Amino acid sequence: MASTQALKSRIRSVKSTKQITKAMQLVAASKMRRAQDADKASAPYTKAASELLSYLASQGASDEHPLFARRHIKARLIIVVSSDKGLAGAYNSNILKTYLNEYKQSDAESVKVKTITVGRKVGQFVGRLKDAEVVGAYEGVADQPSGRELHAILDTARDMFMSGEVDAVDVLYTEFISSLTQKPRVQRLLPAGFTAGTVSDSVRDAKYEPSPEVVLDSVVTRLIGAQLYQALLDARASEHSMRMIAMKNATDNANDLVDDLTLEMNKARQGAITQELAEISGGVEALNE
Amino acid sequence: MRLELVTLAGVKLDKPVFEVILPTVEGEIAVFPDHESLITVAVPGAIAVRQNKEDSDDQMEYFAISGGVIEISSNLVRVLVDEADHSDEIVESDVKQALERAREMRESATSVVERDKAHQLISRHTTQLKVADLRRRKRRG
Repeated sequence: MASTQALKSRIRSVKSTKQITKAMQLVAASKMRRAQDADKASAPYTKAASELLSYLASQGASDEHPLFARRHIKARLIIVVSSDKGLAGAYNSNILKTYLNEYKQSDAESVKVKTITVGRKVGQFVGRLKDAEVVGAYEGVADQPSGRELHAILDTARDMFMSGEVDAVDVLYTEFISSLTQKPRVQRLLPAGFTAGTVSDSVRDAKYEPSPEVVLDSVVTRLIGAQLYQALLDARASEHSMRMIAMKNATDNANDLVDDLTLEMNKARQGAITQELAEISGGVEALNE
Repeated sequence: MRLELVTLAGVKLDKPVFEVILPTVEGEIAVFPDHESLITVAVPGAIAVRQNKEDSDDQMEYFAISGGVIEISSNLVRVLVDEADHSDEIVESDVKQALERAREMRESATSVVERDKAHQLISRHTTQLKVADLRRRKRRG
């Protein structure tokens, strides 16, 4: 049996680990909530842009637009979103697994895959793959990505699609379904496919300057941007919620461990006392004889 | 007439106004109530807002915006942009420093990603400075 002293120091170290995991759990919980709020805040933007697009599409302006062009897919671009930091349970490994699956599937169909990585973890992983072609690697994207950060990624994707370098652009991220369920999801950004919705009167009667095509271009770019933005926020919310649960489990485990160790320490201490008493009473017996 | 400034981060502004000056691809346009319906494309620049008819130029509010879409109807101006900053939120010295850093970043950029990022930052900070400058000039005049 380990000495009381050794057990005591182990308990101390487990307790301080527990403090850290507990703190990380609380931080992740509040960050998750913020990411969810930001997700909701972008809804009016998406709604307004969708409304404009619905009208433009109903006017046939989108038929000829290059961003809507459906071509036979010979090469595709995947934007993979992971986290910069670990300790988030299966968050990153789920994404990497899905990415590998997509990669192999495309390979089997002899579709070339190009990749943009967002987040250090996936950046490192894809960088180690032998024949992966990485177009860009982004790290340190803020919790609430700014429009500018988004556009750096978006412009690259758009240019590659327009120039015919790739025939499809997908984003692979972790969809936030609830704080308990998140799963990896592949969403197609380009070619753009938006469903028509309702059109308000003010939009219908409007004049377009300089032309419906130019306006359409701007609207579609914004909508794709909003989709990418929401994917990034979803990924963020998922990351934090998985980290929160991972840290909660770690805290629970630390609690169990402290309980076990305390029990063992008490046993060891009691054992030592019993033994000492036995020795004393043995000594007394010996003196009495 | 209502002005709605909608960004990805949420609705930035939603209030009744008298006059809005907007930077569009076709040049700056001033919009008053009962303007004809118009949908156009915004370029990075400054939005100026006059809330009441009798407000002087000094009382106008300014926003630095990035590119976007503008939707105008008789009683609503809706501006859809990626980012919008109120001139009061812009601290000139900070922006100048950030602009300097962005320029250095552009010089030392080794990858396309870094250079893109630097370009984005430079155009953003330049717009912000312009807006801050506008605000200062109005206050003095």
